[in-house]
Amino acid sequence: MLRRRLYGLLLALLTVTPAYAQLSIVGEWVGRYHEDFGDRVPGDVQGDLTGVPMNEAALRYAEAYDVRRGNLLVHQCEPYSLPHIYRGPLQFRIWEEKDPDTQEIIAYKEYIGTYMQYRTIWMDGRPHPPEYAPHTFMGFSTGKWNGDVLTVRTTHLKKEFYRRSGIPSSDQTSVVEHYIRHGNLLSHVMIITDPVYLSEPFVNSQEFVLMDRGNQSWLYNCEYVMEVPMDQTKVPHFLPGTHPFIDDFSKKFGLPPAAVKGGAESTYPEYRTKLEAGTPAITLRSGPPAAPRANEVRNEIETVHVQGNVYMLVGAGANIAVQIGEEGVLVVDTGAAATREKVLAAIRKLSTKPIRWVVNTSADLDHTGGNETVSQAGETVNGNPAAIIAHEGVLARMTETSRSVTERPLNTFLEPSRDFSFNREAILLYHFDGHTNGDSIVYFRRSDVIVAGDIFLTTTFPTVDAQGGGIDGIIEGLNRILDIAVPQYLQEGGTYVIPGHGRISDEADVTEYRDMLVIIRDRILDMVKRGMTLQQVKAARPALEYEGRYGTESGAKFIEAVFKNLGEKK
Amino acid sequence: MRSKTHAFVAAAVMCLSAIPVLWAQGPARGGRTAAPADLTGNWVAVVSEDWRHRMATPKKGDFESVPLNAEGTRVANTWDLAKDNAAGLQCKAFGVGGIVRQPSRLLITWQDDNTLKLDFDAGTQTRLLNFDRSKQPTGEKTWQGHSIAQWETPPGGGRGGTAVRAQLGNSTGPIAPGGGGRGQRGGPSLADSLNQGGSLKVVTTNFREGYLRKNGVPYSETASITEYFHRLPSEAGEDTWLLVVTIIEDPKYLTQPFYTSTQFKLERDGSKWAPSPCRTAPPPK
Repeated sequence: MLRRRLYGLLLALLTVTPAYAQLSIVGEWVGRYHEDFGDRVPGDVQGDLTGVPMNEAALRYAEAYDVRRGNLLVHQCEPYSLPHIYRGPLQFRIWEEKDPDTQEIIAYKEYIGTYMQYRTIWMDGRPHPPEYAPHTFMGFSTGKWNGDVLTVRTTHLKKEFYRRSGIPSSDQTSVVEHYIRHGNLLSHVMIITDPVYLSEPFVNSQEFVLMDRGNQSWLYNCEYVMEVPMDQTKVPHFLPGTHPFIDDFSKKFGLPPAAVKGGAESTYPEYRTKLEAGTPAITLRSGPPAAPRANEVRNEIETVHVQGNVYMLVGAGANIAVQIGEEGVLVVDTGAAATREKVLAAIRKLSTKPIRWVVNTSADLDHTGGNETVSQAGETVNGNPAAIIAHEGVLARMTETSRSVTERPLNTFLEPSRDFSFNREAILLYHFDGHTNGDSIVYFRRSDVIVAGDIFLTTTFPTVDAQGGGIDGIIEGLNRILDIAVPQYLQEGGTYVIPGHGRISDEADVTEYRDMLVIIRDRILDMVKRGMTLQQVKAARPALEYEGRYGTESGAKFIEAVFKNLGEKK
Repeated sequence: MRSKTHAFVAAAVMCLSAIPVLWAQGPARGGRTAAPADLTGNWVAVVSEDWRHRMATPKKGDFESVPLNAEGTRVANTWDLAKDNAAGLQCKAFGVGGIVRQPSRLLITWQDDNTLKLDFDAGTQTRLLNFDRSKQPTGEKTWQGHSIAQWETPPGGGRGGTAVRAQLGNSTGPIAPGGGGRGQRGGPSLADSLNQGGSLKVVTTNFREGYLRKNGVPYSETASITEYFHRLPSEAGEDTWLLVVTIIEDPKYLTQPFYTSTQFKLERDGSKWAPSPCRTAPPPK
């Protein structure tokens, strides 16, 4: 009997050996910069584009990039994102979070000294979030041990850069990392895939050594400050062909400019032949077309809690926001007509209180198709159907297009803004002649959520309505969002923004979209001033570096609309 | 009876207590038959780091990133490519301390069960990694020196995310390299297990002095050169990568260990294999 118990004990001991199964990567690590020191530490020479398998769009982006963009207040505290942060000077601390019952590792946590960023690598097998979840600079990571190699996969990253010289990374980037330890040396490998800006995976690796006396330089607080007065609505950039420093690197080190911009081809051994013969040429590949938009009208409406009292409904065409509270329900936009009953059911799952208000951000059918159903299902305090509120321009458009009276907003405003309180929360509506002449954004002040309507999208370029819409109005609306939004930490979180279509965003995402629109507008304006025709403008592809993200077809329509818009103003 | 039981417990505890020690040190194991990772194949260096130092020839005196001491700096500043060529020293940049950083294709094959062969097409160099530790270097020092290799195997053969547990039962089956002991319960199939972690540690001695960089950044004959070769885990549809971590300690020329890690991508075949002699292009003026 005793022996049997001892066998049992032995068996138990054998089966609890996983504590020895993996190397520990816990500790405080500091970088060694024996590769690419110039780029990674001082970074003082502009135009270093070497070794990155960038595509044509990335080069265009870099050729327009003005480092002074980082002086804008909304950019000053943006940290390096995951594919970039390990390349810079840094030290980081890793610790384990364990299940107290099983002692299995739930997650690895990292604190990165540079920018004081925190990161979690989930080891418990949880899935990555859905596509409409917010993106962050560190992304969402899951890990798995393969022998003594910890492999980590990360998605949901924000747009940033691979190099300070302006080689961009997109928010479609995914990263596979490998952590490998040999004694006190930790090798960290990154294999980066980015369909928008890379033509092949970008691989790099860096070494860190264990700090026996680690406690140096852990603090890096960022407070933005305007050191030089500058208009915060103007985005520094260089018009095509005018970047004065783009060839600094090639000049300093005696390298052919074409080789410095060689992309993936230049990273393979056979490129030496071209280099030595002095005949390299830029042969960057075009990026693939933007991924097709997911069907936004779905069989099931998904409900996401954004924050505070505000939820987002996904799957009804355009995004819908729902605010709930003691007084009842307020709905911003009602989706496409085909989903109206499902939308109503989803709202009813959130709250059985009466629907009091419906707000429309524009008259677009995919935003207002459920107006009648949602309004009629609700009631105001005096027993009427829920009031539909919007800018006067929405009513005008619906009247022009013969929408039924019960779909139309009968509570309209003409002034630049409107505010009221509901569910003990201040609700502010701001009007712009942007995407249409009836656009509004909606700000839930206590919940700290902005509903942007179609002036901000994470799926396509904006559409500019020929009847009253305008690119300057869209930019004005985005700048208003940037004025309102306050990030929680390092330009992420804090105020959340629900776009007309796409994923939940924050100030940094809106900033990138605003920057893009300003840059494209400035280019087209310059072309208009130079007398170029629409065909010539289209041929010049002023939105090239963004087409892989927001779509070539969408880009062509946008360029045409902006050209006409600016041409009218000329 | 009781004493037998105590002996059993004592033995069991001793065995168990030895496990972490063995795992921590990495048992010295043989060559091909013990391989926890399949390093063989046609690999190509993807020069995504130190591009201007590796793809091109840097200017004289450009030894950025290398922790040279005063003597190393002095020697690097005396570099004279024409003089090297005239002296028949064209391969100084293709020796064991520099070859991995050359833009090159790398063919890895088993020469025999105890010798892994590394062929580089840049400079047409060959290195032999000996698993037989008793094999001593003979003759004069060479560019590639004498390398002793040793597998560092992960515990239980290095499977995936599930906790690695000791294998019980079915102890008569074949040992699957990296497969978690005997039998089928603990490990993946042989083919899979060969790609699931485990590294090769290589220590090289008896080499001639050479260059860390094409432009004469030196390493000495007394340097200590240690490398780790890793075939990195990958999923279907992804590229397969080989990582070579190199640690060079050379008090004669360096102020601290010089760390680099170099990536090679697996190619389908050797169709792009293009051997070339040791040759360094002149630096830009």
